[in-house]
Amino acid sequence: MANGTVRLALFREDQLNQAAEAITRLHEMGIEDEDISVISGMALSERILGRPMSWSHVPLIAIAGAVAGFLIAFFLVFGTQYLYPIRVGAMPNTPVPTSLVVLFEITMLGMLVSTLLGVIAEMLTPSYGPAGYDPRISHGHIGVLYTSPTNLDNQVRSRLSELGAVIVERPEVKKLWP
Amino acid sequence: MAAEAKPLPGSVVRGAEEEDLRAEHLMLDPRPREEMNQMVMEAMTKTTPAFWIAISVLGLVVLVCLFGVWIYQALTGMGVAGVRRPVFWGIYIATFVFWIGISHAGTFVSAILRVFKAEFRRPFTRAAELMTTFGLAAGALYPLIHLGRVWVFYWMVPYPNSRWLWPNFRSALVWDFLAITTYLISSTIYLYLPLIPDLAMARDHSTGLRQRIYRILALGWRGTEAEWFRLRTAITIFAFAIIPVMFSVHTIVSWDFAVGVVAMWHSTIFGPYFIIGAILSGVSAVVMILFVLRATMLHMKYFLRPEVFDSLGKLVLIFSMAWTYFFINDYLLTYYGGDAAERQVLLEHATGPGAWVWYLMLICNIVIPWLTLWNRRIRRTPWMMFIITTLINVGMFAERYTIIPMTLGHQRIPFDWGTYVPRWPEISIVLGTFALFMFLYLAMTRLIPMVPVWEVQEGHMAHQLRKVGQTEIPSITELE
Amino acid sequence: MAQMEPAPKWGMVIDLDLCTGCQACVTACAMENNNHFVGEEEVGYGRALYWLRTLRYWDGEYPQVKPNFQLSLCQQCGNAPCEPVCPVFASAHSEEQQVNLMVYNRCIGTRYCANNCPYLARVFNFYDYDIPEPLNNYLNPNVTVRRRGVMEKCTFCIHRIQAAEQKANQENREVGGDEVITACAQACPTDAITFGRLDDPNSRVSQAARSERGFAWMEDLGTFPRVVYLKGVGYNGS
Repeated sequence: MANGTVRLALFREDQLNQAAEAITRLHEMGIEDEDISVISGMALSERILGRPMSWSHVPLIAIAGAVAGFLIAFFLVFGTQYLYPIRVGAMPNTPVPTSLVVLFEITMLGMLVSTLLGVIAEMLTPSYGPAGYDPRISHGHIGVLYTSPTNLDNQVRSRLSELGAVIVERPEVKKLWP
Repeated sequence: MAAEAKPLPGSVVRGAEEEDLRAEHLMLDPRPREEMNQMVMEAMTKTTPAFWIAISVLGLVVLVCLFGVWIYQALTGMGVAGVRRPVFWGIYIATFVFWIGISHAGTFVSAILRVFKAEFRRPFTRAAELMTTFGLAAGALYPLIHLGRVWVFYWMVPYPNSRWLWPNFRSALVWDFLAITTYLISSTIYLYLPLIPDLAMARDHSTGLRQRIYRILALGWRGTEAEWFRLRTAITIFAFAIIPVMFSVHTIVSWDFAVGVVAMWHSTIFGPYFIIGAILSGVSAVVMILFVLRATMLHMKYFLRPEVFDSLGKLVLIFSMAWTYFFINDYLLTYYGGDAAERQVLLEHATGPGAWVWYLMLICNIVIPWLTLWNRRIRRTPWMMFIITTLINVGMFAERYTIIPMTLGHQRIPFDWGTYVPRWPEISIVLGTFALFMFLYLAMTRLIPMVPVWEVQEGHMAHQLRKVGQTEIPSITELE
Repeated sequence: MAQMEPAPKWGMVIDLDLCTGCQACVTACAMENNNHFVGEEEVGYGRALYWLRTLRYWDGEYPQVKPNFQLSLCQQCGNAPCEPVCPVFASAHSEEQQVNLMVYNRCIGTRYCANNCPYLARVFNFYDYDIPEPLNNYLNPNVTVRRRGVMEKCTFCIHRIQAAEQKANQENREVGGDEVITACAQACPTDAITFGRLDDPNSRVSQAARSERGFAWMEDLGTFPRVVYLKGVGYNGS
């Protein structure tokens, strides 16, 4: 992570091609992918802008939640009747068909709740890199947040401005939450 | 905002033809994001005196007719309701099934239509999903309302206790409890996840208490690639996972009846029959709500166009036909060689003193949609769709009423046949839950942005006019 | 706690040819089990708290009309449909007495069991019913008085069964096949109701149950009821 100047280049929502071109220019000037971050008000596929694919732990957390849900359901259906059996007519103490319902529901509940917890955890845990933001982004602008070596700053700024970007000087926000 | 509408991407269509396309399809009428944000924020924050009167009246009705009468019933006993031997379940359970049915529409629109990439769903997924959450909130009250000893309802919750007693997981009511809890939590989360970017937008453009609440709920959303990726992953997981949950919930509710030995209830068709009925009444309720939103909220006429009512009308017609198919499957086979007790029940439904309910159901669910929804002009007229779908919901309520109290009153012992008559506390509480739904919905329309603008913008970006031969046709690209 | 010997199987035989429809059994049951009196209006709407009823049908045309009585009570089914549907185990199966238990303290009042009973044997306490002085003096101290919101039904006078079992335990013997008599059997003037251990082949009830007039009510539903009805040709050949 280079110690440098952090700037945010804002492109309007119809300047998508210019934004893609800007990232190419940043690459040409030696700024790595990990020093660049694209912030937008709409989901833009990484391929559109020539960016490496993102990753997330949420699917893994979802599966872990599903397993946890299944184990809890298993205990509730079979474990409780094994520990404290109460006889009801017309049915064995631990019938499999009726247990399928409970197993399914609590597994799904575990999966879905853990997905939410995964999203919250990933969003609230600190992330690397500068946290840059500008309210114009939620109005549709595409923001290219980059960290450039300080000596190259003016050069980068002029090359990006050629494409029609508006450069925000101090984009880092202290705290967006809470 | 007098901003120019954006040009249709890739198009050479000009003049009157372009105007027609723009007016007809939301997806071919892109506006700058800022303008759409403004419209949605205005719709959310502007309130008229009529709004305040409506919400106050509804709040009063909820307090008095729902909670007041419920407390009176809990203190006096279930005898104030009309239930009796042999009809131990009455209009409370019928309304319960009705609300759970309505709640299926939201998931249908936001999950199933998303999975099938039906683009017309984009402007109203949130309105439909809100319907799910509040329909479940209203419906989930009923298993508590109809309890004889509601103060010990928590015995149905599995928790370790000193009595060494757990709930009976073989009972359909416990399945009900677990399924509805799962569905309520899941649909609230599914409402929340796509809402995060819109909350971030609202956070950026509001002040005061609103801004503080949006800040907290938006979880510090900025819109980075990682954030979008994890949001889309989570939404995809939800869209695929909540569909089986939705099917299982109403199946389990139908199994409350189908696992019993009650004549005419112990039918294997109840699962799919109830689900199709739920989607029918739910999609009809979506149409009703969209009509009200269009008529009462600012700028909704831009987002909710007659094409939406057209598409939903086609869905309603299809589901009405599917419902008829399942209805015939259930009742024709009872009529032809069925159990004597079941045939008695069918005879009572069709010719007894309560037969008007049965015919109301048939007319509203079959005759009216089949006669009207073929016509494209009718489908595209919002107020006509509102009337038709209201009647369909009346018919679906009549269906639940037929299945529950009217079947229970006519079982295997002729000496014990009995008629059920709903009494004023039941009617009051039923109206109270309708008021609760409307109150919560009305409150939410002013608290969160009702249209998922980022999804609409996504749709705009995906649609373009492509020149094919002599003409230009709209084409949709896959952006994911 | 399960006993070492196999559990006794309590059962009842009701001879419909002897039943006159006098309803002495209904009255005796109400007295024995502290059943509430709900009032005329409530009974008219179908909320009477009778644990056993006479179903009275009319046969024939006027003036040759004759009533046809059937006693309806909880059949204490072996495969009781009311049991698996209770969400809180308020309706469970007794291993010791092989009857269906109604646990008033646990009932939360969903009334699912009542819907699922094909014999409509279960009744529900819709209100808290008044027992003004001096009526409270008739209350049987061996039986709980139920409050609003709980289900109830015939228990085969399980308090009498338990008293007999305790006595037999003290005397180190088994309960006799004819030792326990239910309130309804005690009150019947024609001895139409017989109660006892079905698993004791010498008891009166076993011998009556083996009669060729015997049938089980709605047994095609697979409920394995413990009540055997006896009905022969009838005194006018029906």
